[in-house]
Amino acid sequence: MIVSRLILVGMLALAGTRAWAATGPMPQLSADMMAQAVEDDTFSIPTPGELLAALNKEGKPNWQAQYRPPIPTTYTSRPQIALNLGGLIADGYLAVEAEDSQQVKNIGKDIMTLAKTLGISEDVLRRGKSIEDFAENNEWSTLKEELEATQNEVKLAMDDQHDEELTTLVTMGGWIRGTEAVSGWIANNYTAPEAKLLRQPAIVALLRKKLEALPAKTRNDELVKSLDGPLRTIQTMVSFPPGQTPTQADVKSLHDTAADLISAITTNK
Amino acid sequence: MKSLFLRAILIGAIALGPAPLRAATDGEVAAHEAVLDLAGAFTNDGFKLRDGDVAGTLKSGEAVVVQVDLYAGNQYWFSVATADPKTAVSISLYDESGKLLDTSPYIDPHRAAAGYSPDVSGPYYVRLTNPGAPATYCLIYSYK
Repeated sequence: MIVSRLILVGMLALAGTRAWAATGPMPQLSADMMAQAVEDDTFSIPTPGELLAALNKEGKPNWQAQYRPPIPTTYTSRPQIALNLGGLIADGYLAVEAEDSQQVKNIGKDIMTLAKTLGISEDVLRRGKSIEDFAENNEWSTLKEELEATQNEVKLAMDDQHDEELTTLVTMGGWIRGTEAVSGWIANNYTAPEAKLLRQPAIVALLRKKLEALPAKTRNDELVKSLDGPLRTIQTMVSFPPGQTPTQADVKSLHDTAADLISAITTNK
Repeated sequence: MKSLFLRAILIGAIALGPAPLRAATDGEVAAHEAVLDLAGAFTNDGFKLRDGDVAGTLKSGEAVVVQVDLYAGNQYWFSVATADPKTAVSISLYDESGKLLDTSPYIDPHRAAAGYSPDVSGPYYVRLTNPGAPATYCLIYSYK
């Protein structure tokens, strides 16, 4: 099963990856080696599950407090659809974490509406029968694992229909909405260890790099163009030094910036 | 109603962004099977396997560096294996300043793993080295 998924999905192509002469154990990596390290979003960007696992060690957050009202599902711009699809996916993770099957159903309805406009095929959508069963049986732990395991398969489907740039925007929308929700929770239930979890400078840098690499047509979309300024601000906010702890006001400011960005993304143009 | 759940989760699966996808070679499949076998021990200890991997080929004496992002409080195991049971590979972890970290090691003839629990959230670097013959490798990680 795992191997078949492997064959189906394929692996990260390392064409162009810099390989170095191995000289045995190195006490220090050079700046050049770090700058040219392999970066891939299926490996270098943590899953929401990893962040939630870290947060859960500090207590069981009430994710229902971070729910938001339903968003419009009548967008016509494909980049805007993709960004909002990502946001809804983040909402789905929160609902799973909250073990709230009704909210998953509500979000699923909106996701389906947006997904159909992007051409996600019914064949692909039918692949998650087991996940559906886990959800209906409230097998939340297994559901989380199945959710992560299915990600690459769906990504392949988008790749097949030449929508690579849209999956970048889905990632972007999901990360921004996730940041809004997590920072909102921490701002309202502040502890220093949780605030330190918001330090993720490399993730934002990688997302901005991917934004710059989008095809010109997508990159020049008005909404997409408007993302980089706020993302640069967010990058500064989550790039505090390793020994520093953001204050509650810092976390609130990060939440407000992410919330403003989500508001712009969800506003029907 | 059942299909709604299914669809929600499947579309949720798009959450990760695009990666250059291609068909896996026989060597990569073999390396992936070998590293999954190793990571299974960590799964039995409560670690969740990240459903992503980095695979490729290292010539003799080469090394490759992969960036990861870790959260303080979590525990991680980075596992690597080569396709050929006779070809060794080693793994080491560095912090964002490039400093070599003390990790819990695991080494067998063609597989290696490094365990680490970061105190600081942020970027880290995994370095794979190939001291022997050219090797097809697969790198994965687990967390809890």
